[in-house]
Amino acid sequence: MTLTDNDSMLHPDDPQNTPIGYVIGGGLKANLFVRLTRPAYEVQEGGFVVLESGNWQFYGLVTDLQLGAADPRYAEIQNRERLSAQVTQLLASQTLYTNLEVLPALMLERGPELGTEEYENWRKSLTEEPRPLPIKTVPAHHAVARLASAGDVAEIFGVPGEGANFEIGRTREQDHPVCIDLEKFVQRSSGIFGATGSGKSFLTRIILAGLIKHNAASVLVFDMHNEYGFDDTASDTGKPVVGLRTKFPGRVTVAGLCRGSQIRQHNPDLHLEFNESDIQPEDIEMLTRELNLRETTPMTLEALVHTFGPDKWFHEFKHMINGAVVENDEGKKVPAPDSVAFWANQAGVNPMAAEGLHSKMSRVFNLPYIVEDDPNQKTSVNSLKHIIEALKAGKHVILSFGDYERDLDYLLVSNLLTRKIREAWEEVTNQFRGKGGAEPRPLVIAVEEAHKLLNREMASQTSFSTIAREMRKYYVTLLIIDQRPSQIYDEVMSQLGTRVSGWLGDENDIAAVLSGLAGRDALRGMLARLQPKEEVLLLGWGVPMPILVKSRRYDQAFWDGLLGKESRRDAAQSLKELGF
Amino acid sequence: MSPIPIGRLLRANTTGCDIGCKVTQGSTPSFGDMVRIPLTNHNQIYGLVYDIHIDDDGLVNQLATADVSREIIEDNRQNRNVPVEMSVVFIGWEDTHGKVHHTRVPYPPLTLDEIFPCDEEEVRKFTQDGSFGYLRIILRNLELPAVDLVTAHLRQVLAARSGIDADQALEASLGEVIAMLKDDYPQLMDVLSAVSEIL
Repeated sequence: MTLTDNDSMLHPDDPQNTPIGYVIGGGLKANLFVRLTRPAYEVQEGGFVVLESGNWQFYGLVTDLQLGAADPRYAEIQNRERLSAQVTQLLASQTLYTNLEVLPALMLERGPELGTEEYENWRKSLTEEPRPLPIKTVPAHHAVARLASAGDVAEIFGVPGEGANFEIGRTREQDHPVCIDLEKFVQRSSGIFGATGSGKSFLTRIILAGLIKHNAASVLVFDMHNEYGFDDTASDTGKPVVGLRTKFPGRVTVAGLCRGSQIRQHNPDLHLEFNESDIQPEDIEMLTRELNLRETTPMTLEALVHTFGPDKWFHEFKHMINGAVVENDEGKKVPAPDSVAFWANQAGVNPMAAEGLHSKMSRVFNLPYIVEDDPNQKTSVNSLKHIIEALKAGKHVILSFGDYERDLDYLLVSNLLTRKIREAWEEVTNQFRGKGGAEPRPLVIAVEEAHKLLNREMASQTSFSTIAREMRKYYVTLLIIDQRPSQIYDEVMSQLGTRVSGWLGDENDIAAVLSGLAGRDALRGMLARLQPKEEVLLLGWGVPMPILVKSRRYDQAFWDGLLGKESRRDAAQSLKELGF
Repeated sequence: MSPIPIGRLLRANTTGCDIGCKVTQGSTPSFGDMVRIPLTNHNQIYGLVYDIHIDDDGLVNQLATADVSREIIEDNRQNRNVPVEMSVVFIGWEDTHGKVHHTRVPYPPLTLDEIFPCDEEEVRKFTQDGSFGYLRIILRNLELPAVDLVTAHLRQVLAARSGIDADQALEASLGEVIAMLKDDYPQLMDVLSAVSEIL
């Protein structure tokens, strides 16, 4: 096809507006098909394309490239021996072709040709500036397709640095910056997914750095592997990786779990411990799988709370003696008064069930960071309170688990702390709504290995699923980081606003990431064929349309771009900021 | 513009005609050559020679088996009672303003109209806009030897041009051929094979 007629709709002076093809068919459900007029290697899966049709501009994503031939024999038979080189080339150019499959996503009214009277009239008729709309119709046959220019990308994803726009990466083909709106990002829970080694941690650091720098929300990171706070070394390259605490010394607090813990040979800013009274039955029920608890556990726990009260049950149960017996007047061995069985008999609970629970909970009783209540409240309560107050005040907390990297520690602590935070934020929000108090500070809780907390069995028992489902109204959202999204409860996944996914190999994981999204069939292949590193797909409510980006590198250039001169300030300045 | 006619029209319709010629090997058009037929109203018809037939007559039949001299044979060849007949397919026409149209002629020429061979300038003029859409007249007509006729015609077209001009003409003409025949793989490959022979 000669594109001359339609070329006039473009701006030929702009090399970025070079047409790459024209629409030959398709629809909203079946995607659009574009006949490529450029060599196939110039366009790749995931490319961001613009289709010009009349007064409208359509934006879409290349989801497939298909080789075709006017007759299969043109493709199957090589004619180099039979035809001259010139004729062979001419024949190939007219009978062999590549079709793009384009997932249409947005449309934008751009009006008549700029500079015409019609354009002026159209501008006058507008009540508001045209903005990209979800696609409701299709471009006409032979509408010209071109790769998106920097202006197109900015039109849809925003201008870097403007407002809450944060550059998360660049388009693969033309290297145009792609932004996410951080204020929108924190309004709903979001997820970062990818197989091991796909760069989830680096991407998380980048997003967290953006959130901290932009100050869009307070951030609490459950840092199971001690990666985010202090400087680290990349496991694959061996290169040093700067910690968030290093770059934001005055704004990021590193909390270490348990008194005296060290994180990467650094002393954390505070040590986190819990009072025994902080432990509630739901914290134990959440450990059902980890402790191999039985179905009788909830009844036993309920009886303990009934007997001793919510603040004392853990302490009392811990100090019961399992299996202790004494001889009664008749010389028979009966449970000792301080035994588990004695209490069970008194409380009408099956003694064997109570003893079994006590035995299994010994792993929890022995945790060194759960301490007896201090009447003076000098240690534990203060550290928990300090974290909540810091988050309320706009600071950011990275909770490093130090040597307590077992699932038991992670599940218990993250759920417990989140429950406390949830209670605090609900209270503040209710005060704000009902009594005119200060508006709560938005909070993002970053959770690694999220499937351990949000799987189908556990989701209903943890605070995380409640946050994912309901806490948006209370200014708390989750940032889920996981390599097995298929293990996360569907109901939680469906609530995720922004999804950022690196390469995933498992079909179920891919399906989980795409669940509930339009065009997921078209996006499935793209997700499976991402580069193993530094390529991610942005999806979901938080972004105007799905797009494939080369994620930014977490290096000095990133920090220079984010912080400017701040990023290279010396240690003395950092200490000064800390008040030393 | 060649001033010497090669023959006169015997019969015609709007798609083509037959012409009768003398046997003068030097100026007689070959298979595939372009010819023109000026009309009385200053229009001009263009066509391609797609068949040349030399019919016998009674004398030739006798001479074929007779023992005659070389002069008599030559005299009968040059001064035939039955002319050499050429079949021409019309591929376009030129109006009184000199504009060339690649469409069916509005009306056929009259008997005994003179026919002239086209020189290179006239061939260039007929194809100067780079459009070879008239090739459909050849390719769609099942009664014509389309493969050989297109090849012979393109040879003349390319010979009338040089350098980039010839390349562009080849690209445009073959582009038209491919567009028209891409659903007919055997026919297209025959044409392209034949064209490859002349490149």
